[in-house]
Amino acid sequence: MVRKFIFKFRELGILPKLLISFLILSIVPLIIQGYFAGKNLSDAGLQAVQRAEDMGKVNLQAAEDIGKTSIEDSVQALDRKATESIELRTTELAMRIADFLYERDKDILILSSFKPDSQKYLNVYSALKRDVIIADTGTSSKLMKKQTTDLQSKNPENKESWQHRPPHSFKKLPKSLYKEITFVDLLGQERIKVVNGKLSENLLNISRKENTYCKAEDYFSQLNNLKKGEIYVSRVIGAYIKGWLYKTPEGIKVKPESAYAGKENPQGRKFEGIIRWVTPVYNEKGEKTGYVTMALDHTHVMEFTDHIMPTEERFTALSDGGSGNYAFIWDNHDKCISHARDFFICGYNTASGKEVPGWISRPTYGEYKKSGLTLEEFVNRLPSFRAFTQKKTGSMEQMKLGNISLDCRVLDTAPQCQGWHEGTEDGGSGSFLILWSGLWKLTTYAAIPYYTGAYGQSKRGFGYVTIGANVDDFHKDANIARTKIESSIKHEGKEILAANIKTRELISERAAHNLKIVTIITIIAGLAVIGTSVIISLNITRPLRRLTDVAVAMSKGNYEQSIEVKSTDEVGKLAKSFNEMAKVVSEVDKMKSDFVTIASHELRTPIQAMLLGISGILEGFSGKIDEEVKEDLELARVGIERLMRLVTNFLDLSRIEARKFEFNIAETPVADIIDLAVKELSELADMHNHVIIKNIPTDIGNIKADKDRMIQVIVNLLSNAIKYTPEGGKIILKANRTDEEVLICVADNGYGVPVWAKEEIFNKFFQADSIISQTVGGTGLGLTITRGILEKHGGSISCESPLSEEEFSDLPLGYERKGSIFIIRLPVPRSSST
Amino acid sequence: MEIKKILVVDDEKTISSYLQKKFSKLGYMAYAANDGEDAVEQSFSILPDIILLDVKLPKLDGIEVCKRLKSDNRTKHIPIIILSAKAQSFEIRQGLEAGADRYLCKPVSFPDILKEIQTFESK
Repeated sequence: MVRKFIFKFRELGILPKLLISFLILSIVPLIIQGYFAGKNLSDAGLQAVQRAEDMGKVNLQAAEDIGKTSIEDSVQALDRKATESIELRTTELAMRIADFLYERDKDILILSSFKPDSQKYLNVYSALKRDVIIADTGTSSKLMKKQTTDLQSKNPENKESWQHRPPHSFKKLPKSLYKEITFVDLLGQERIKVVNGKLSENLLNISRKENTYCKAEDYFSQLNNLKKGEIYVSRVIGAYIKGWLYKTPEGIKVKPESAYAGKENPQGRKFEGIIRWVTPVYNEKGEKTGYVTMALDHTHVMEFTDHIMPTEERFTALSDGGSGNYAFIWDNHDKCISHARDFFICGYNTASGKEVPGWISRPTYGEYKKSGLTLEEFVNRLPSFRAFTQKKTGSMEQMKLGNISLDCRVLDTAPQCQGWHEGTEDGGSGSFLILWSGLWKLTTYAAIPYYTGAYGQSKRGFGYVTIGANVDDFHKDANIARTKIESSIKHEGKEILAANIKTRELISERAAHNLKIVTIITIIAGLAVIGTSVIISLNITRPLRRLTDVAVAMSKGNYEQSIEVKSTDEVGKLAKSFNEMAKVVSEVDKMKSDFVTIASHELRTPIQAMLLGISGILEGFSGKIDEEVKEDLELARVGIERLMRLVTNFLDLSRIEARKFEFNIAETPVADIIDLAVKELSELADMHNHVIIKNIPTDIGNIKADKDRMIQVIVNLLSNAIKYTPEGGKIILKANRTDEEVLICVADNGYGVPVWAKEEIFNKFFQADSIISQTVGGTGLGLTITRGILEKHGGSISCESPLSEEEFSDLPLGYERKGSIFIIRLPVPRSSST
Repeated sequence: MEIKKILVVDDEKTISSYLQKKFSKLGYMAYAANDGEDAVEQSFSILPDIILLDVKLPKLDGIEVCKRLKSDNRTKHIPIIILSAKAQSFEIRQGLEAGADRYLCKPVSFPDILKEIQTFESK
């Protein structure tokens, strides 16, 4: 492969050689340099971009982490803060409820100090009123929002983070604290009864349960034990109102037939209940005369929690059980006594006076079914806080019946009940999170520190307040912050990415730019190289080529040549010396031509004179001569003729050699040439008794040749054959044509040509044997001229001798008849026609 | 055509006088000229039946002589045989183009010259 290239390279002219060499020398390093420079730049740039990207990623990651952590921290902080504030609220609420209840103790003690009197009781009844918030469904949605005004402090020192709320503007109505106030005698007979703001005539004996509120009160039996100043406080007693919940795609909804449920069912029937205070009344003598009872309208207790919103609204006219943000109260037996949904509040069956059993889970209900007990009995016997888990669902049967009151003790679908119970064991407060219905809820609890009567039996007191809040609502701000941070990080990320992309683009632009520059430089350098090498080579190759052309012309015989000398450098010197040489050659050639011409010319004249004289004498134009004289003169004549032939041949030969011989090349039929040649020599052949045989095919065709010269050639060969064959010989002329050449052969059965002389015979002045040639005559130039002519035609001539008898059976050979054949080869004309 | 008068033109006196002598001996009226001008003059004055003309002549060369004679009404009918040592083909062509009827290359034997002239006699 390499060798081939080197070979090709050698064959190129100087200009291409220079070009290639220069290009390789200059361009290739340039390209390599440019490539590496560009690559380095690109690499460096890409590295920089990569670093920037990595850094960017790291930064982004750091930002994300910081964001996450800070959000988590703030969430936690928020949670802690919110939890703290809600806990505080719960605790304070519990204390307020306790205070409220203690006030009722005061009420009854004061009342018990009076002599029972209807009017007094009536007055007290009317006097003791408390505002209850009325839920007006029209305005409630307005009230739900946090109220703001444009109020601002005029003092600029106060303007920092100025927040202001106008007071809540709820609609309120005063309602009597007590449903009824009674004076009961020692036998349980009502003596005074104030109910609905009026004295009631319907005085019943309350020692019988069926005469009591909801037929459920059985406190009379405990009254005997009461001493002066001792108070009996009952549990919450009220009629249970059923409720039905059903699932919708929007969530759980409350059927309108259900009890009142705040926003969820504002038209429902509200839970009505009482807590009854009883204390003995003594006369002036200190004798117990009876008991005064005051039945607190439980609505007032419920009011404490019905309007609490743990969110920034703080209060609401209508609680929303569905939101999960509300407060509720549980009594000292863990039964629900205040709830946004009134059907969750434990109550009594007014027909039987028995408590309606709380809602239990399906599995537990299944157990009840198997137990054979009444639901009441089963529930009463059920161990407290057994297997509480959210995995259970409430029983379908109770749901269908609408008996879904919440009794924490047995509500085994709500584990938070257990939490509250346990938490309030010591009368304290707290909070915990519970995942309720897929949402994280914060629940706070606080024991209500009211220990009068039976409520003093445990540290739990009256019971406990719980407030539930959706954690996400606290996190609103944190979530907003999170969203902001996330979007800003995303934005940052996008920017960094865009910047990186831009940087990459810049780099590739630069690289492309560099590539362009390198290419331009390379092209310019290439052009410079080309230009330089063209200039250089023109100064060398053009003169050289001119020199070559001129030399070729000279070799063709055109001696009148000269080269323009354009410079004084080596090439110029060469041109100059060439011109001088050409001049000399031309002069020499001229001299030679002149000499030949002159010589042949000048020689002819004396020869003419000799010939005239001698031929004239010999032919008898100068008178009679003796035979002997004739013979002697004959010698001279022969010499003159020979001399003449020599002169002619010499001139011919020199002209052929000098390439000055003009040939008239035309398409000539081979047959014609041979016929004419034979014709010219037929006389001579007859003289020697030779037979000339022509063996020429009719389709031998034409050759491109000078007709006269070709005839001269054949004549020369024939005459040689005639001369060098003993008397009675045979000469065969043969011709044939192949695709490439035409062959003409002249064969004879003459003396033959010695082996060593086969080539020599074509040389100047060669004659085989001086004796033979003296007899035969000839100049020794014939074959030389013949060969010259044939070579000028692009052909050749060769000689074979002696001939074999087998090959040349038609030539009688033997003894001195060794035979010889001269073979002429001529190229076939391109457009020959046969 | 009968040939009586022959004009031999050659600057070599030996040749021209030899030919003149021999032609006279044979019965012709032979004249000789040794330069071109003389050749032309004598042609006009003698009006030979045939001219043997050499090319290499002083004063006026044979080609010129031939041209002149062949373009002149008086002499253009006269056959001209060029007999010259100039034997190159271009020289031969030159001579023939000048109007020569024959071109013989020296050396030619006397019998051959005679033969050539006789060919014109028979015309």
